[in-house]
Amino acid sequence: MNGNTPYIVVNDLQKHYKGGAIRALDGIDFSINRGEVVVIIGPSGSGKSTFLRSLNLLEIPTHGDIIVNGTNIIEKNVNIDEHRQKMCMVFQHFNLFPHMTVLKNMTLAPVKLLKKPQAEVETKALNLLKRVGLSDRAYAYPDQLSGGQKQRVAIVRALMMEPDVMLFDEPTSALDPEMVGEVLEVMKELASDGMTMVVVTHEMGFAREVGSRVIFMDDGRILEQGSPADIFGNPQNPRLKDFLSKVL
Amino acid sequence: MATYFAELKNDFILNFIDEGRWRWLWEGLGNTLIITFVALLMGLAIGIVIAAVRSTFDKNRESMEMHKGFGYYVLKLSNAICHLYLTVIRGTPVVVQLLIMYFIVFATSRDSLMVAMIAFGINSGAYVAEILRGGIMSIDNGQFEAGRSLGFNYIQTMIYIIIPQVFKNVLPVLCNEFIVLLKETSVAGYVGIVDLTKAGDLIRGRTFSAFMPLIAVALIYLIMVVILTALVGVLERRLRKNER
Repeated sequence: MNGNTPYIVVNDLQKHYKGGAIRALDGIDFSINRGEVVVIIGPSGSGKSTFLRSLNLLEIPTHGDIIVNGTNIIEKNVNIDEHRQKMCMVFQHFNLFPHMTVLKNMTLAPVKLLKKPQAEVETKALNLLKRVGLSDRAYAYPDQLSGGQKQRVAIVRALMMEPDVMLFDEPTSALDPEMVGEVLEVMKELASDGMTMVVVTHEMGFAREVGSRVIFMDDGRILEQGSPADIFGNPQNPRLKDFLSKVL
Repeated sequence: MATYFAELKNDFILNFIDEGRWRWLWEGLGNTLIITFVALLMGLAIGIVIAAVRSTFDKNRESMEMHKGFGYYVLKLSNAICHLYLTVIRGTPVVVQLLIMYFIVFATSRDSLMVAMIAFGINSGAYVAEILRGGIMSIDNGQFEAGRSLGFNYIQTMIYIIIPQVFKNVLPVLCNEFIVLLKETSVAGYVGIVDLTKAGDLIRGRTFSAFMPLIAVALIYLIMVVILTALVGVLERRLRKNER
């Protein structure tokens, strides 16, 4: 809770496959403060998604510490489910529950896990849907929505848990180009509301505009990090330079 | 032509009416149905437990290997036992299993009907388990991850998110397993049960006229299977309609 210590601290995080022959993560040190928006960029296969998914233990790291709000969530006696309620995730492929309406998708977790009354939760869900321009889709099923709409629902579904931090795993990569904007708009709004966010993305425009810090990863390591202005304006690492020359 | 029909009529009377032989078929059908029904319930119960163990192990293996606790070893052992069960049951003919049950495992019991129910139940359980496990594994892993990332634990994720989707997918396949089971019970005669097949065969042995009783038995099976298949079709269309 101390305002001066970072909200998440990661020490020497490693993830090996095949007994160490493949190192998806090769010693990551990282921290994020409350209210920060950290954008992770890098070529595919660089370990960005693996790292992000380690933060809520969807990937099990081989070695290292992940200290969230003072608790090392790698420890055996930690209830990871409680931690995940505070670190919600938005996925590349949305992962909405296809057998439930939009509203049910949003209310399930707060009603079942936070034991909040259904009526209160529904009111909140409808308000959030209004904020992202989907008031009229509350009773639709996921298959009836466009990709951009699905992702906006996925974001507000995560918001229903009132998380302390939100993790975005390439949230716009599976979208048709004309729908990317509407999702980024919602994310920008979240950032300006002070949400702590870790975003893995290929949207360099978003990284430059919204990121408080940009991290460049390759080969399971953080090769360079800094303000968007430094990373995009004055890159140092040759691989970052090479990467930027290809994507910009 | 007329003599042919007269012969057919005599044949019919000889095989079904004389000495009330139709009652054998009726009782045989009753035994076939009761064996199938009880075996189905048993198979479902066994199948659900086995599928739960196997998919829990598959889905949680990695996170449990992080801290190898007591639960990990219990689950690993249970999984190994289930695997052995599936291999043995699916790798041997059901008639052989029935004979082993009757003459070895339950050698002291003369209640062949009960032994048959258990044997077919244990057999069916293996197939049901694999149908259910296949259904669970066919759900996109993203659904598990979405559930877990919201803070649901493994069991809650299964109950609220995975099982409802699995149920829709596997219900028609389970019904087909039921139809297969119905036909498989026709080997119950091996342990002295008068099921539908055995009843027809007994009549044949008594009247020395094979055509009527055996065709009658085949027709009864066929009618039951056709009706059940039609019901599964209705069910499938119903489920698809609800799908969004």
